[in-house]
Amino acid sequence: MNSQLTAGVIGALLAGAILYLVRRDHMHGSYALWWLAIAAAILILGVFPPVIDWLGSITGISYPPVLPIIVGIGMILIRMLRTDIDRSRQERQLRRLAQKLAILEQELSSVRRDSASEPGATPRIKSAQVIPLSKPSDV
Amino acid sequence: MPASAASQRSILAVIPARNEAPTVADIVRRTLAGGQCDVLVVNDASTDETAGLAEAAGAAVIDLPFSLGAWGATQTGMRYAQRNRYRTVVTLDADGQHHPEELPALLKSLRRTGSNVVIGTYSARMSAARRLAGRYFRLLTQMNVQDFTSGLRAYDRRAVRALASREASLLDYQDMGVLMLLSKKGLILHEVPTLMSPRRTGASRVFASWLLVARYMLHTTVLCFAQLGVRSRVLFRSQTARRGTA
Repeated sequence: MNSQLTAGVIGALLAGAILYLVRRDHMHGSYALWWLAIAAAILILGVFPPVIDWLGSITGISYPPVLPIIVGIGMILIRMLRTDIDRSRQERQLRRLAQKLAILEQELSSVRRDSASEPGATPRIKSAQVIPLSKPSDV
Repeated sequence: MPASAASQRSILAVIPARNEAPTVADIVRRTLAGGQCDVLVVNDASTDETAGLAEAAGAAVIDLPFSLGAWGATQTGMRYAQRNRYRTVVTLDADGQHHPEELPALLKSLRRTGSNVVIGTYSARMSAARRLAGRYFRLLTQMNVQDFTSGLRAYDRRAVRALASREASLLDYQDMGVLMLLSKKGLILHEVPTLMSPRRTGASRVFASWLLVARYMLHTTVLCFAQLGVRSRVLFRSQTARRGTA
């Protein structure tokens, strides 16, 4: 078994796994695009390792095998940075959503109390009219 | 009914509360007794009967679906105030260390001094560690505030708008971060000495243990650095503007 075959098999497996996950709709939008690009890069480098030597000679790196490692680590760092930025954005949205929900809930119950105390003024909201959310996990 | 009273009164007292059942009803009653403001208790996902007791005492109560922390709860009050067109917001803690009887002094100072924010300060309560922290943050931010963690404050409409914004949603405490945001917006802060009691129940959320203090100091330092450049730029602009009008 030669090294090119090993690299090719690993590359194809990784690319296949990513492709499978993207196709199964586990990632949306830009994430899927990013991972598809990664899968393509892994496949190319795995099947045609000489590409690495060629890239090494272009960039003037005397030991080309470190090139994919360095680029890979760089990519991981960028990805993690993006993830944290996204998480902060989502945290902000989540907090504001919870606040709004709580304010609206308070408003709703005070409107209900008002309309209960003066019948006929406004149509009374019955609790049966409240549409329940289908599943908590959907919110 | 708080909703109908909103049209007559223009001051809202926001009381964030998390498991403060022993004291919250008393604080609400004493705040209402002043006759100046409506009272809103923001129940920060308490596991005791805080919400029921506050409501029975005459406050409007907002129940957060999960805990948002002291500042998250207070900001909910700011957004409620904005939505219901209150002109002034005062905040106080539910644990009994702030006296609602001090609120008129705060409000008077807000009107008289023309400032946007008035902070009720009780310097005698401060421990050596807290004072050292205060000196450190004053040095870092160049802001001249004695008691930066005091939750007894009065905000005018501009300050409420600034604090209800998205920008303020990732803050965790009503302290340096809030003060820096306000001064970044060019709002004027003012401090008034007030009376405070030691906490009757519970412990400070910030100064509970050394580990928490260390975490808090680090967190706030990072916050200060994040805001530093912006702040100095704004300061500079306000100085040149003043020079222009002079």
